[in-house]
Amino acid sequence: MLFANLPIQKKLLRIVFLINAIVLFLAGIAFFLYEVHVFRTSTQEKLSTIGKIIASNSTAALAFDSPGDAKEILSALKTEPHIVAACLYDKNGKLFSNYLSDDTLQVLPAEPGSPGYHFSAGHVEGFEQVKQESVSLGTLYLKSDMGAIYDRLKIYAGVFLLVFFVSFLLAFLLVKILLKSISLPIMALAETARAISDKKDYSVRSVKMGADELGALTDTFNQMLDEIQQQDSHLKQFNLNLENMVRARTLQLESVNKELESFSYSVSHDLRAPLRAIVGFTSILEDEYNDKLDDEGKRITSVIRKNTVKMGRLIDDLLAFSRMSRQDNKKSTIDMQAMVDEVKASLVIPGNNEKIRWSIGELPPVNANPNMIKQVWENLIGNSIKYSGKKEQPCIEIGSFAKKDHIVFFVKDNGAGFDVRYSDKLFKVFQRLHTPEEFEGTGVGLALVDKIISREGGSVWAESELGKGACFYFSLPQA
Amino acid sequence: MKKLIKNIWICRYRIAIWLLFSQSSVLAQSTPELEYQLKAVFLFNFTQFTEWPADSFHSDSEPLVIGIVGENPFGAYLESIVSGEMKGGHPVVVKYYKDEEDAGTCHVLFFHIKDPQRRKEIIEGATDKNILTVSDDAAFLKEGGMVRFFTSSNKIKFQISLNACKKARLELSSKLLRVADIIEPPEIK
Repeated sequence: MLFANLPIQKKLLRIVFLINAIVLFLAGIAFFLYEVHVFRTSTQEKLSTIGKIIASNSTAALAFDSPGDAKEILSALKTEPHIVAACLYDKNGKLFSNYLSDDTLQVLPAEPGSPGYHFSAGHVEGFEQVKQESVSLGTLYLKSDMGAIYDRLKIYAGVFLLVFFVSFLLAFLLVKILLKSISLPIMALAETARAISDKKDYSVRSVKMGADELGALTDTFNQMLDEIQQQDSHLKQFNLNLENMVRARTLQLESVNKELESFSYSVSHDLRAPLRAIVGFTSILEDEYNDKLDDEGKRITSVIRKNTVKMGRLIDDLLAFSRMSRQDNKKSTIDMQAMVDEVKASLVIPGNNEKIRWSIGELPPVNANPNMIKQVWENLIGNSIKYSGKKEQPCIEIGSFAKKDHIVFFVKDNGAGFDVRYSDKLFKVFQRLHTPEEFEGTGVGLALVDKIISREGGSVWAESELGKGACFYFSLPQA
Repeated sequence: MKKLIKNIWICRYRIAIWLLFSQSSVLAQSTPELEYQLKAVFLFNFTQFTEWPADSFHSDSEPLVIGIVGENPFGAYLESIVSGEMKGGHPVVVKYYKDEEDAGTCHVLFFHIKDPQRRKEIIEGATDKNILTVSDDAAFLKEGGMVRFFTSSNKIKFQISLNACKKARLELSSKLLRVADIIEPPEIK
């Protein structure tokens, strides 16, 4: 696990342990080296002291040629188990008496060396002059092993290990206790932050545990929470206001819209009654007062009737347009092939447009409102029949193709066509590109088509060249 | 100094011979010369292990005198040993006395005298004068002498009468006493 990812408590514990270990280790090494140095010095000094005592005691033995006495003096070294060998040389350098500890095979120097002690391969050895007053009587040789230092270092290592573990235990306990003052506020802060992010409850506050940096952090954190809570409540209030406002406005708009629709419906509807009267009475005038009217009168009544019929159609279209908004958009699968045949059959009037050459391609079924789609086909096919009527051989082609997730249907004719520059006007209500004299119409049909297809989730567009025919496309989502 | 080194060499050579012979138990009948060489060395060494009262020297540089009365068994050998040696600032010298009456100023007195009466006189005279008396007569200690040489197991050893030493206010090193036989003869009336 990466150190950066550890919890703070473990992190601090590890830091304390590491420092503790380093300090103890360095201190241990320092004391160890010091101890070794002190021990070497003291071993040398001790050996030197022993040497001086033995030498001082051996003077008479050497002076009066008593090797037995010398042996006795040297054997006192038994009490010092680390001294492995000792011997006395007389003043002529000849071995006079020796002492060897039981368990060692020590080789004694053949003749005395210069006074002084030195370390050699795990031993301390050296020579001491034996003097009585100023008279030199011989030389003492002493050899000590370093067992004492190992014994002492073993004890030292034991003590060191004990101190090491005890201090680690103490450090662990102290850190556990003292860390609480650091980790508890942090953990409380973290807990508060988590509670807030989980429950989105900004009313929670962290408890301050001291006046240190963590206390300041807790204060700042709580202040931030105050601010967030305040802003949150402001925002909520604002949101609520906005929602209420939108709801109110929507209701307002809906009612206005409904009023408008019912108004236009009733207007259109109510307009039909007087119109019917006009048509009826004009017909009566033509039928029953035919002989009483001169030619001009007959023409005028004919014009009145024609315009009245036209107005009636206009009102019908407007009614259809406004009715569409009021209808529910109930979708079902539509057999387009059958629908197109039906529409075609209803529009073909014997003796009028029988000469049209029809070409109907494959039309896949779609999922949409059948009444609406039927209206679309009626308008588009009707337009094609109307605008190709003046051609000698009118042709109407109906087909479809897939485009992404939509199916595109088209109705193509070889009629009058239109100027593409005005194609943006095509689908707007009461916008016409031809005069009523050229082609009669109300200017509502294509607007209705556009409205229906938009509601079904598709789009409408057209291509044309003036005099060479037009092609109208509409797309619907694939079933 | 050269002389001393030469003597030490001679000494070493002779001691080596002596030690060689000591191994084969012929020392009892060894040449008197070798025996007395060792005794001479011992005699000098006694000066190193003995403390004289301060008033036995008149000045700091006054020599410590090893006196020989009567027959001199050492020849010039003793002189060669002590030559150049010191005892606490006092040069060690050897003096030979024909008459024991002259021996009052010495510090160590060795004598080899057959006449018991004369021996007794010398011993009594020496006691008051803080003189360490040394001899190899068998009855020496009984007569109030202090140090007596004797031969045991082919080796030269010595006996010491501490009482006699104390009477003469001489202080013998315990180290010397370690290698000596302490003999206390009954008090002489």
